[in-house]
Amino acid sequence: MNWVLALPEIVLSLVAMVILIFGVLRQDDSFFLSSMFALGGFLLAALLVLTTGSGIGYHGQFVADAFSSLVKILILAGAGLSLILSLDYNRHNHIARFEFPVLMLLSVTGMMVMASASNLMTLYLGLELQSLGLYVLAAFARDDLRSSEAGLKYFVLSALASGLLLYGVSLVYGFSGTMDFAALARTLTIPQSASPGLIVGIVFVLVGLAFKISAVPFHMWTPDVYEGAPTPVTAFFSTAPKVAAFALLLRTMATPFGHQLIAWQTLIIIVSVASMILGALAAIGQSNIKRLMAYSSIGHMGYALIGLAVGTPEGVRGVLIYLIVYVFMSAGTFACIIAMQRRGRPLELITDLNGLSATDPALALAMAIFMFSMAGVPPLAGFFGKLYVFLAAVQGGLWTLAVIGVLTSVVGSYYYLRIVKLMYFDAPEEPFDPRPTALSFVAGATGLFTAFFFVFPAPFVGAAQAAAKVLFG
Amino acid sequence: MIYAVAVFAPLFGSLVSGLLGRAIGDRAAEAVSILCMLVAAVLGPLACFQLVSGEADAGSVYLANWIEAGRFHVTWQLRYDTLSAAMVAMVTFVSMLIHVYSIGYMAHDAYPHYRFFSYLSLFTFSMLMLVTADNLLQLFFGWEGVGLCSYLLIGYWYDRPSANAAAIKAFIVNRIGDLAFAVGVALVFFKFGSIEFSTIFPAIPQHQADTYSVLGGTFPAFEVIGVLLFIGAMGKSAQIGLHVWLPDAMEGPTPVSALIHAATMVTAGVFLVARMSPLYEFAPFALGMVTFIGATTALFAATIGCAQNDIKRVIAYSTCSQLGYMFTAAGVGAFQVSIFHLMTHAFFKALLFLSAGSVIHAMSDEQDMRKMGGLGRMIPWTCTVMWIGSLALSGIPPFAGYYSKDAIIAASFASGTGIGMYGFVCTVLAAFLTAFYSWRLLIMTFHGKPRADHHVLEHVHESPWVMIGPLLVLALGALIAGKLLDPWFIGEDWQAFWNGSIFNAPNNHVLAALESVPPWAELAPLVMGLAGIALAYLMYMVFPLLPMRLATQFRGIYLFLLNKWYFDELYDAIFVRPAIRLARTLWQTGDATLIDGVPNGLAELTVDGSRQAVKIQTGSLAVYAFVMLIGVVLLVGIFLVSR
Amino acid sequence: MATEVGLGHYLVVSAILLVLAIFGIFLNRKNVIIILMSIELMLLAVNLNLVAFSAALGDLVGQVFAMFVLTVAAAEAAIGLAIVVIYFRNRGSIQVEDVNLMKG
Repeated sequence: MNWVLALPEIVLSLVAMVILIFGVLRQDDSFFLSSMFALGGFLLAALLVLTTGSGIGYHGQFVADAFSSLVKILILAGAGLSLILSLDYNRHNHIARFEFPVLMLLSVTGMMVMASASNLMTLYLGLELQSLGLYVLAAFARDDLRSSEAGLKYFVLSALASGLLLYGVSLVYGFSGTMDFAALARTLTIPQSASPGLIVGIVFVLVGLAFKISAVPFHMWTPDVYEGAPTPVTAFFSTAPKVAAFALLLRTMATPFGHQLIAWQTLIIIVSVASMILGALAAIGQSNIKRLMAYSSIGHMGYALIGLAVGTPEGVRGVLIYLIVYVFMSAGTFACIIAMQRRGRPLELITDLNGLSATDPALALAMAIFMFSMAGVPPLAGFFGKLYVFLAAVQGGLWTLAVIGVLTSVVGSYYYLRIVKLMYFDAPEEPFDPRPTALSFVAGATGLFTAFFFVFPAPFVGAAQAAAKVLFG
Repeated sequence: MIYAVAVFAPLFGSLVSGLLGRAIGDRAAEAVSILCMLVAAVLGPLACFQLVSGEADAGSVYLANWIEAGRFHVTWQLRYDTLSAAMVAMVTFVSMLIHVYSIGYMAHDAYPHYRFFSYLSLFTFSMLMLVTADNLLQLFFGWEGVGLCSYLLIGYWYDRPSANAAAIKAFIVNRIGDLAFAVGVALVFFKFGSIEFSTIFPAIPQHQADTYSVLGGTFPAFEVIGVLLFIGAMGKSAQIGLHVWLPDAMEGPTPVSALIHAATMVTAGVFLVARMSPLYEFAPFALGMVTFIGATTALFAATIGCAQNDIKRVIAYSTCSQLGYMFTAAGVGAFQVSIFHLMTHAFFKALLFLSAGSVIHAMSDEQDMRKMGGLGRMIPWTCTVMWIGSLALSGIPPFAGYYSKDAIIAASFASGTGIGMYGFVCTVLAAFLTAFYSWRLLIMTFHGKPRADHHVLEHVHESPWVMIGPLLVLALGALIAGKLLDPWFIGEDWQAFWNGSIFNAPNNHVLAALESVPPWAELAPLVMGLAGIALAYLMYMVFPLLPMRLATQFRGIYLFLLNKWYFDELYDAIFVRPAIRLARTLWQTGDATLIDGVPNGLAELTVDGSRQAVKIQTGSLAVYAFVMLIGVVLLVGIFLVSR
Repeated sequence: MATEVGLGHYLVVSAILLVLAIFGIFLNRKNVIIILMSIELMLLAVNLNLVAFSAALGDLVGQVFAMFVLTVAAAEAAIGLAIVVIYFRNRGSIQVEDVNLMKG
């Protein structure tokens, strides 16, 4: 049965429709209730993802396997955490409208379709469904100039990127005669046989996906959108879509274009190195913490790309572990950022964190854990993320990548540790507003995960390993 | 199941009181951690009893996978055999009593108490992880956890410089031992391809003939591993050379000292040697070293104990000495005897420390015995239990120490080897000194004329019942534990009791030979003990001026003992001061000029790069789109060329 | 003699359209609406490609995909216009040069 495989996606879109109708019919404030429905939808979908079996449906256009399950769970986790973060923020900033969870649900549906895509057509449709939701979310604070500018920039550049991707899809289709991943893999067995048109097509597809994970040089939108969008949306941007786009990149590069590894490996290496260097350098001069997180995420995607560049199951395993760690680390960091409020006004400057350890030691501790983890300090989770990709790079003989990775993470640790230094050694300022429980919950849960990942890494590593094995048949 | 609950209840208590302590308040935090300890103290001995009575089978409790990396598999698993279960029973029980006692002892402390109770419970949990470890890495986890908690607790009064110094000293000295221990664990992994006990132990006979070639010499593999692991044990169990941290550890609150000395921490080394008995039985040289170090420490620490004036320091050196006894027994192959002494020692040493705490409490935090005296009538309960503890420590029948300590001395005699005889002589002499310093302590504290000023004397009072209660329970233990446990641990039922959890080589008949020790050797420790008591009575009760005269007469020896054989000064001169000099040189020439210079230059370069990198981010849509286009063109170009 | 129109011709036309569209996005300094039009143009170029390939390969999938792309293009245009409207309300201008509040 086809629809059984796609049950999580179907349920999510149904929930979105129901909330939409409910929200339109109810005149009064229904944001909280809709959000709770949406969270329930996420939970239900996660449950369904875990219980539905694997298989290929819809004439080979849709696949459910260990890889897609892991990615979907991660997407749902990222989206769920971001939605929890939005509860109080949206209310304080007068954007508590029921459309918010609806858009998030639809966008997540798109991401899950991306994770399950096994056909270029499914790939594009999932990607677009995701993007359409994200455009509106970025501009969700519609009375705020910066938010609307973020939405506009993201829309224009993302549309350009999808246009290029689509053009690439059309070229791949034209020069190979099929859109199906499995068929493509069969057609492209011999690297030398690929025509220049096909090669250009592959590059265009790569460019479209690289834009979504904000890899250099397609990262230009990231800092502006991160800064402008409402902070919970930024948290969402930095978790779920990144995972979905990376999953798509992994699947397309490994399955249909897997035999062309020698051809695209160089490109991924270049993009990865450029991302790591830019992520480390550009973040140093930032004063806005959301912008800093944007550059930091560019750097993180660079590290994760190392695993893809290796092109082995170990490499993909490394990427997946990196993404698992990254989602929780990132959600936690944004929980801390959203907690930065004085008299109801959200703060975004790094210097607003000055002396936080004196005014709110728990928040400072959580933030410090995330910063140390992002810098890759053992034994926190971020260290393991880096460890596994560097390990794969060394095993795959890509020494240069591993060395550059280590060097840039040393540079990168400067600005992470600077935040810790500000919090612990600078003179305290006026305390923040009391934290809502939801924020404490997210920061606490992700903080515990980040701090104690080293105690139970085995299940995560095992899941990533199983997922990676699927891609390489 | 109840076994796992017994192990994890302290962790739960620690987490609750540590994380929520501020929110729920001191009272609630204390209540939670004590409740958790009570649960553990009921279930721990119960689990042990079930195992011994045959109701439960030995095995292990699987918790979770820990590390999967290539050939390297480690799981979280609780080992459930007699050795582990007996240790769990002892640790949970003694620790629970110390927790209860702490309520009274810490009542007047200025700091919030939840932190103290959280650390105590965490300490207990770490020790439980150590003794229930099913592989060397989990053991190492507990080992380090114990080290960390001892650091936190010794430095508990963090505003006292001496407490901080003592905490750091304990941590660093332990670290030296841990280094050897970690190397030993790594060698075990390379030799056996695993660090799970269940894989290592059966494979030991196959690797018996393996050797390492280091520095031109060839050494049997097991000897090397055995010695390295023992160096780790020396650090943790404060054996001569690495003992310097233990007396300083008195800077912590007294219940902490009791916990360190009785239930957790210092016994870890003895436990390790017993746990690794299958390996040590094939490493005769390493075992010889264990006995030699142990016996030397037993005598050495006892000599120092005779000249100390701080009540807690006397007991601290006594611990050092008693641990030496345990190693002596382990070294001659009588691992069961050493664990037996560990158990009885836990009771009377906890008793001695807690009653010393009670004395200090009564004396308004005075620890110098020269300012005490005549307290016996004012604090009768404390005096009584301290007498019981001292009787047990000195090995007077029928107190607990008599059974275990005599067994150690008999075992070292019965081993019949040269090193065994060395152990015998040292331990018999130490038995004399032990009795001497114990009665010196008793007499100086409780008898004779009061030497304290009247302000202090007016405030002398018996401790509250929450402190006396645990003392009475421990006193009961010190009274009967030896008689009770003797038949199981080393008596006729020992083989059924241990059920193979401690390994004895086929040619190791020490336990059987215990019965056939000649009467004079059997009686020697008792006679020496009584002689020690008599001497102390003469010197401090009958001729109270004699000690002073002796001290002036033999000033050299007295100062030598008072200053603990000048170990601290020796280390200071050999290691500490040269290290500081080296560090200063490196700092001035290496760090300030070279190491600071290069990174500062690099940092400027980085900041410059950062400025350039951001310049392109103009905020203009057109530029952004253009950069993307350049990227596309570049990638297509590279792709087409490199194909 | 009139040459027959083949696959190559379609591809060239679509490539020209694509290049025009891309140039429209980053050379245009005037109006955001023009960018929206450029995006539409780009999608049309792709559609032309897809249909041409579909016909040449004798495979219907390309034409089905073209339908999907048209639908997506409509949704994208709607959302794009909506965002331009709220931007105009906040900024009072939709000049491309004015969209540079955030940088660095």
